[in-house]
Amino acid sequence: MNGELILFFVLALVAIGSGILMLNLTKVVHMVIALVFTFLSIAGLYVMLSAEFVAFVQVLIYSGAITIIMLFGIMLTRHDDKTETKIGVPRMILVLTGIVAFFVVMFFQINDLSFGEQAADLHVDNTEKIGIALYSKYVIPFELTSVLLLVALVGAIILAKRDDEDKGAEDNE
Amino acid sequence: MTLEKLLSYDWGIMAPEFTILIVATLLSLMDLFMPNKTSRKPLALLGIAGVIIAIVFSVLQIGTEPTSILFDTYRFDAFALAFKLLFLVATGLILLLAIDYEGEREWEFRGEFFYLLLTALLGAMMMASSADLITLFVGLELLSISSYILAGIRKNNLHSNEAAFKYVVNGGIATAITLFGMSYIYGLTGSTNLYEISEALTNPAVEQNAFLLVMAFVMLLVGLAFKIAAAPFHMWAPDVYQGSATPVTAFLSVVSKSAGFALILKMFLITFLSVQGWHNAIILELQPYIAVIAGVTMVVGNVVALRQRNIKRMFAYSSIAHAGYVLVPFVSLSLLVFKMTWFYLLAYLLMNIGAFAVIQFVTEKERSEDFTAFSGLYKRAPWVAVMMAVFILSLAGLPFTAGFIGKFGIFMSSLGTGHYVLASVMIATTVISYVYYFNILVQIFFRKGEVDRLLPSIGLLIVMIICGAGTIFFGIYPGAAYDFFQEFDMNELFIK
Repeated sequence: MNGELILFFVLALVAIGSGILMLNLTKVVHMVIALVFTFLSIAGLYVMLSAEFVAFVQVLIYSGAITIIMLFGIMLTRHDDKTETKIGVPRMILVLTGIVAFFVVMFFQINDLSFGEQAADLHVDNTEKIGIALYSKYVIPFELTSVLLLVALVGAIILAKRDDEDKGAEDNE
Repeated sequence: MTLEKLLSYDWGIMAPEFTILIVATLLSLMDLFMPNKTSRKPLALLGIAGVIIAIVFSVLQIGTEPTSILFDTYRFDAFALAFKLLFLVATGLILLLAIDYEGEREWEFRGEFFYLLLTALLGAMMMASSADLITLFVGLELLSISSYILAGIRKNNLHSNEAAFKYVVNGGIATAITLFGMSYIYGLTGSTNLYEISEALTNPAVEQNAFLLVMAFVMLLVGLAFKIAAAPFHMWAPDVYQGSATPVTAFLSVVSKSAGFALILKMFLITFLSVQGWHNAIILELQPYIAVIAGVTMVVGNVVALRQRNIKRMFAYSSIAHAGYVLVPFVSLSLLVFKMTWFYLLAYLLMNIGAFAVIQFVTEKERSEDFTAFSGLYKRAPWVAVMMAVFILSLAGLPFTAGFIGKFGIFMSSLGTGHYVLASVMIATTVISYVYYFNILVQIFFRKGEVDRLLPSIGLLIVMIICGAGTIFFGIYPGAAYDFFQEFDMNELFIK
């Protein structure tokens, strides 16, 4: 067993373990912390696959921005919220069977996967290559994504903004 | 890639998309600079003008050779154009509906509605006119995210909040499954271009992993079945349709669904048509499963609709059932698959938007969404009642309406390819659907209600007249639509 494999197992274990913790913890802040560990170990997996750029983005966006926003959201609302499980046992067993079946099927297929030869020079200038592909070959989806972000932004403002007139109306009533 | 190379592409072919994008941007800027208490309704007129310009551009493009920009991340062909025309016409009609939507107190000042509708349309158009998984996915998300916001835009309405929340959670899961399926396809073929994928899939090294391909196919189908609200992934539809504003409901049930079908046809037929599974072509091997989805969708949609009293929920289940009908040509895969799907979606567009125009008219006047709100409509607004009768007869699939021609075509194509079970399910569920459709007609013509006269506003009247005339015209003379469709050479879809 070489070092790479050990590192992979450690990262994978942390990722999956924190994912399960996130689902099973009851306090919402603990869930966020568990999520951070998942994000970070996935970033570690990306580094192992020589995808440093994706790893950096993962850390910046997921572990950084998204977690912070979640924490803000929790702080500004009810931060001592706890989940209450209402799912019945039969349903739980049904879902679990489905998931296990899916896992077993996919696992054996991926184990048997054969591709022939693998590309060996993936790590050479890969950030530069991503940049070039993004701004030349994929410029249409890139621009479309900017429209998408604009829509998400506008949507967030519409749904979250307090309408002053309603506030006034309530006070009058 | 140099700038000259970038500029050498025929960007003019994207004129319809650019028009919609520019109009949406203009609307958002105008909305920003308009005074707070000014009605935003005039913005809709500009939106409609934009849609009409885009339609003109599209019509002028009929007969143009297939054009590809930047490695098929944008691809113009007859398939794309035929579906884009449907989306554009439907969105134009829905904008007309939206002008006269009263809704809540603050609705009049909601300019966002109009440009979110246009960005959703832009997403749908990109889904029809791209042959690259990345663009297709971004288009799908642009459509979905705009729809989530549109569903929740009446934010002081509890039903609308529930609708938006259900839609965003369920939609997010469906998106994740679609993306998971796409990632397997990319992993196996090393390309995001649909044509390169279809070539790579015939490579023996990839064919060894046929099982993973099947799983990828299934995951894509599950994710997209959500988009078209096919059973068993339909549970979101009734709540979302009920909670959204009526124009949004019309948009979700027509444009969003048609875009889903465009994506399914395009993705599966280009990439998987010639790919081997274990024994047979993958698409033939999975045909029974898709047939089950189609059959279950028809049964669930029509049977559950029987129990609904809320008119919008009833139409949500009706639209689920129609998704089942439209899946039938995709299952039977005759040579006419595009023609049948396109014509049925055209008929569905006309009759469903028309029906929603009447629903909006009645529910607003009555302030009730119960189907008894329709009682005595014939006495109160005879012409509207007659229009509604036309739409309902067409939805039920009775002769001399576009819905009949569409359904008949689908039925014959499924018989022609030997799918007798599916064809009989279709007939049986159609008969079931008569019960709830005619229930509404009984309310309209035979029950007594209020006696005051009702007059629809101009926008609603225009929508009703266009949809009613279209429904009857294509019902009596379907050749017009079929001849028009002959202009589109669907084989272009398969030429790289």
